[in-house]
Amino acid sequence: MIKKDLSIDFLGVHFENPFCLSSSPVGNCYEMCKNAYDAGWGGIVYKTLSPDHFVIDEVSPRFSQLTKEDTPFVAFKNMEQLAEHPMAQDLADMRRLKKEYPDKVLIASIMGETPQDWTDLAKLVTEAGADMIELNFSCPQMTSHTMGSDVGTNPELCKTNCEAVKKGTNLPVLAKMTPNITTMIPVVKACLEGGADGVSSINTVKSITDIDLDNKVALPSINGKSAVSGLSGKAVKPIALRFLQQIRSAAGLEQLPVSGIGGIETWEDAAEFILLGASTLQVTTAIMQYGYRIIDDLTNGLMHYMDEQGVDHLKDLVGIANKNILPTNQLDRDYKVYPKIDWDKCIGCGRCFISCQDGAHQAMDWDDDKRLPTFDKSKCVGCQLCALVCPVGAIKLGLVEMKPGRKGDPAKVDASTFQLPNAEN
Amino acid sequence: MTSKYETEPKGYTMTTVMQEAARCLLCEDAPCSKACPAHTNPAKFIRSVRFRNVKGAAETIRENNALGAICARVCPTERYCESACTRAKIDGPIDIGGIQRYVTDMERKENMQILHAGKENGMNVAIIGSGPAGLQAAATLRQKGYGVDIYEKNAKAGGYLTYGIPEYRLPEAIVDYEVQRIVNLGANIKYNVAVGKDITMDDLKAKYDAVIVAIGASAAKTIPMFEHNICTESAISFLARAKENKGKLDDLPDNVLVIGGGDVAMDVVTTLKKLGVTHVTDMVYEEFSEFKASKKELEGAQKEGVTIVDGYVPTDVRQNKVTFKHRKIDSEMTITADKIILAIGQKVDADGLDIDIQHNEIPFRKARFHTKDPKVFATGDIVDGDKTVVYAVQKGKEVAEEIDCVLGGQDND
Ligand SMILES: Cc1cc2nc3c(=O)[nH]c(=O)nc-3n(C[C@H](O)[C@H](O)[C@H](O)COP(=O)(O)OP(=O)(O)OC[C@H]3O[C@@H](n4cnc5c(N)ncnc54)[C@H](O)[C@@H]3O)c2cc1C
Ligand SMILES: Cc1cc2nc3c(=O)[nH]c(=O)nc-3n(C[C@H](O)[C@H](O)[C@H](O)COP(=O)(O)O)c2cc1C
Ligand code: SF4
Ligand code: SF4
Ligand code: SF4
Repeated sequence: MIKKDLSIDFLGVHFENPFCLSSSPVGNCYEMCKNAYDAGWGGIVYKTLSPDHFVIDEVSPRFSQLTKEDTPFVAFKNMEQLAEHPMAQDLADMRRLKKEYPDKVLIASIMGETPQDWTDLAKLVTEAGADMIELNFSCPQMTSHTMGSDVGTNPELCKTNCEAVKKGTNLPVLAKMTPNITTMIPVVKACLEGGADGVSSINTVKSITDIDLDNKVALPSINGKSAVSGLSGKAVKPIALRFLQQIRSAAGLEQLPVSGIGGIETWEDAAEFILLGASTLQVTTAIMQYGYRIIDDLTNGLMHYMDEQGVDHLKDLVGIANKNILPTNQLDRDYKVYPKIDWDKCIGCGRCFISCQDGAHQAMDWDDDKRLPTFDKSKCVGCQLCALVCPVGAIKLGLVEMKPGRKGDPAKVDASTFQLPNAEN
Repeated sequence: MTSKYETEPKGYTMTTVMQEAARCLLCEDAPCSKACPAHTNPAKFIRSVRFRNVKGAAETIRENNALGAICARVCPTERYCESACTRAKIDGPIDIGGIQRYVTDMERKENMQILHAGKENGMNVAIIGSGPAGLQAAATLRQKGYGVDIYEKNAKAGGYLTYGIPEYRLPEAIVDYEVQRIVNLGANIKYNVAVGKDITMDDLKAKYDAVIVAIGASAAKTIPMFEHNICTESAISFLARAKENKGKLDDLPDNVLVIGGGDVAMDVVTTLKKLGVTHVTDMVYEEFSEFKASKKELEGAQKEGVTIVDGYVPTDVRQNKVTFKHRKIDSEMTITADKIILAIGQKVDADGLDIDIQHNEIPFRKARFHTKDPKVFATGDIVDGDKTVVYAVQKGKEVAEEIDCVLGGQDND
């Protein structure tokens, strides 16, 4: 079995591997966290603690899923709030975990209502032995505007709360961001000014997944009614990656320590977050669906990736893809790549033809007798929609040509693209 | 052009293997893994495929089964892993063999080297026979740091993998590749040396710390009335010739009678058909309901157009004319064929090895795998358990563990 060092230092804390449970039901008590550590997770963000005076009163049922064809959990909507146990019990669990697993990382997630709450909570979790504190500025399910994602869209409130937290602790502090905002940059900067050391991104995206067509209510239905609430899982990954990229390429934030969250399920997802600047990673939905055991393939797959890349330290991969993401006006628009159809692989389904006909530029024709697509270069714009829909990967990137009047050497254009599902078809 | 005999069925692509892996329910305490005799751990490698970690899947297969690419092709999965698959309760079992083949094919393409030899521990083991049991034992022992010499009476390694299972089911290139991996681990194979004839058992005992007898059942069983019949050939002789010559046999007649109803008989009749023999008739002692051959093999033979007649026993043979009687009903049949192939089983040939064989097996005295001689161990088809490749792999691993216990070389565990 491959052995590679996956350890990484993040805000001065050593992680044996970058993989953590994100704050949610997957790390909600001593037993669960113990099982996760034993399964191989490097760290845990314990389910968000709030002062005993806020009453947590959950709805039931509380989840719904977005499916596509036969794939469940494309995205997952939850209506859950915070940890339900009395705080003393959670603190005792955290103390016991840190004592029994001194080399694993324990991050306390907290949420207060007033600055005093934030200070008090920070003190309590520091005393309980947490290695780091994460501030939940981002839960979209809270019933008060001074809490949750409404806080996370308000830079001033974030700053005040960070300052309050810093009064109660000397531990490193992560502020957890909400994606329910146009840009995170002002919030991130406010948090840093308030004393936060890094950020976690993202929490869930406000959503409605589906509607019960008979009862005309969004799901899950709580006694015939529902609410907008947080979406997570694979479908939010593109949104999470976008925020990550924007944060890490903002002036002054290029080295910002970030814990990446949102739709991580496979080692490839993990590698993508790392390449865009995350040094640690957090997971919930994939664990809710498949269990802690997914850590095996997350770590092993990442080790194989490091091996293929010839990299010995994970930190050498952090953020190295950010430089290749540019504002759209700076992209090379001088060339086109035509599709190349491999007639031996083509099974004659005609999907490329249909998509080109109805969704692109009518550059494909269809030979009824032979059941084969034919290709007219003069009409093709090189969008490659046909390549995406071909079920057997018979269409690849082909001839590269400079647009009329543009200068450049087509041989020097890097038009390669790597997508595992179509590889080796 | 490759002949029908040489053509292996198409395997999965990345897209189609993912579709199959996505059907897997990723069960708790997965029954498929429990039902694999060699503990190849299908649930774990399918899960790795599902999570797009194909290289990790290859590691799981290899570390548990040094012949994983072979088992992927020849395991009677309907009797083992797939028989236990929970998905069967919804529609049909996961194609575990097919996924295993995809993963090991990828491993080969990527030239992954997963297994590594352990630190040399100064002890040496001789293995007689390079069939799957001997090969797996060699792989396990090398990982533990033992020196390993394999003595093989044939010119090629693999036992029935090389000289039995037909090319369209198990290409020779795959066997060669698997053998090469084990040679790369540092196992020496000494070809064309028959122990008991070219070298004695005493020589081996004097030279090595332990000896493993993994000779399989290499002789054909026969029926007295066919013994001196010049039209008769044994199944294993025929299959060995077909495989060695890549199906290019120049003595193929038009009309062949096969006797026997096990998997070996199915290999014979299917091979004959794939080689273009027009009339292939298989006479079987058992009735269909009690057939020994796997359903897949039986269906394969029927698809090729073999005539299979069940419930008949041969009562008389004159040159190329065989008379059969039905076991239960009053019926008699005489078949004239250009050639007769007997596929009625194999027996052990342990001449000169000084081990006692009863009913084609070694009776164990105390712990499993021990013979009457404390230095001599036995494994593979000649010990108790199913006579299949995956069982040979399991027994190969276990005999190595047993020797490691006895010799106490635990450094590399
Ligand atoms: C035609 C055929 C098809 C089969 N198909 C399947 C299948 O699809 N799936 C499946 O699981 N199983 C199948 N089997 C069964 C499977 O091949 C055996 O169970 C397995 O090969 C047994 O492994 P082994 O290592 O014990 O012995 P073998 O494979 O028999 O190997 C024994 C080796 O020892 C060597 N040897 C013997 N005596 C000596 C000596 N004195 N000195 C040196 N070397 C010696 C032999 O040359 C041979 O190489 C098939 C068998 C046959 C005959
Ligand atoms: C059921 C559920 C409960 C959650 N509870 C919390 C919480 O208490 N505190 C918090 O900061 N985030 C909470 N989250 C958000 C997750 O920590 C994470 O940010 C989000 O689910 C995206 O990651 P994923 O796609 O891996 O699930 C919760 C998510 C889910 C699905
Ligand atoms: S997941 Fe568990 S707790 Fe939730 S409804 Fe199902 S059985 Fe109950
Ligand atoms: S989509 Fe692919 S397989 Fe189908 S017709 Fe087009 S090239 Fe052929
Ligand atoms: S038993 Fe079948 S469904 Fe369950 S894990 Fe094994 S292959 Fe998958």
